[in-house]
Amino acid sequence: MEGKIIVVTSGKGGVGKTTATSSIGAALALEGNRVAIVDMDIGLRNLDVVMGLENRIVFNIVDVVQGRCKVEQAAIRDRRIENLFLIPASQSDNKDVLTTAGVERVAKQLRSKFDFIIMDSPAGIERGFENSVVSADEALVICTPDVSAVRDADRVIGLLYARSLNPKLIVNRIEPARVVRGEMLSHEDVLEVLSIDLVGLVPMDEKVLISSNTGTPLVLQNDSKAGMAFRQIARRLNGEEDLPIEMPVYKTSMWHKLSKTFGLKQ
Amino acid sequence: MLSGLFKRFTTKKNSRDDAKKRLQFSLIYDKLEVNDTTLTDLQQDIVDVISKYFEIDTDSLELKVKRDDNVSALVFNTPILHVKRKKT
Repeated sequence: MEGKIIVVTSGKGGVGKTTATSSIGAALALEGNRVAIVDMDIGLRNLDVVMGLENRIVFNIVDVVQGRCKVEQAAIRDRRIENLFLIPASQSDNKDVLTTAGVERVAKQLRSKFDFIIMDSPAGIERGFENSVVSADEALVICTPDVSAVRDADRVIGLLYARSLNPKLIVNRIEPARVVRGEMLSHEDVLEVLSIDLVGLVPMDEKVLISSNTGTPLVLQNDSKAGMAFRQIARRLNGEEDLPIEMPVYKTSMWHKLSKTFGLKQ
Repeated sequence: MLSGLFKRFTTKKNSRDDAKKRLQFSLIYDKLEVNDTTLTDLQQDIVDVISKYFEIDTDSLELKVKRDDNVSALVFNTPILHVKRKKT
């Protein structure tokens, strides 16, 4: 088995990287793959709580890289989804404990044991980012439709190109109503600015917070729009490249059009 | 025609357009941020080339990245002392 390593990055923090990582990983496992999610945010681990596995941590990725345990010992099996595993970050160490050489060595082992390895990169473009991208075969860039996230995404895209990676974009937290009102960049705007391939559009969804509150996978909730969007993204990553990307519905209500025409509203 | 008229009424300037424009400019500027070593190297190369044809005052030349609202330009300023005769 020769698995594929996909790194999830964004540059800016707080755009939904952790949610995207856990959801895509879970969805890939639901598609029948053996998946390992690796939390590379050393010192600020989060994937364990989001996935509801915080009580079961024994070893972490630093232990694996430094040879204190085997990959199998650090990989926590998900409670609900078969063939889904989490290798958590260490909470006590500092980002600098990992070296790219160490990560590459572990990456080789991971490739032989899993179909997909999803690396959740920390925010920023320093050491933690380097460690996350060093062994990646593919890269996903997450960005929200706001100026700071798009600018940081552009920077990260440049850094990924420099490493001969061809990143694909996920636009997260799209609010169609606000796009129509002219208060938010549309995904077309973002794509035009960044000129990069798109792999998925994820609408703003209140269910995301609720599923992280309880540590349950978003992708198992059929009524979650974001969850469904992540499942589609996973299918595209799983080889269904031609699966059409669902566009958010940019609805303009008749009342809105009318009031705009008569100058009642901006 | 009707849709054009409709558009005229509806397309008011909004913050979404602002965001897009500001982003496009800032991304271009971000990429033009040249570091000092690149500038120094570039300056040396330019001086070498110009020196083949002109004698220039290397003490008072300057190389700058000039930014405007719409365009960015590389400006190289140098006083020319003599034209060199081409050797035959």
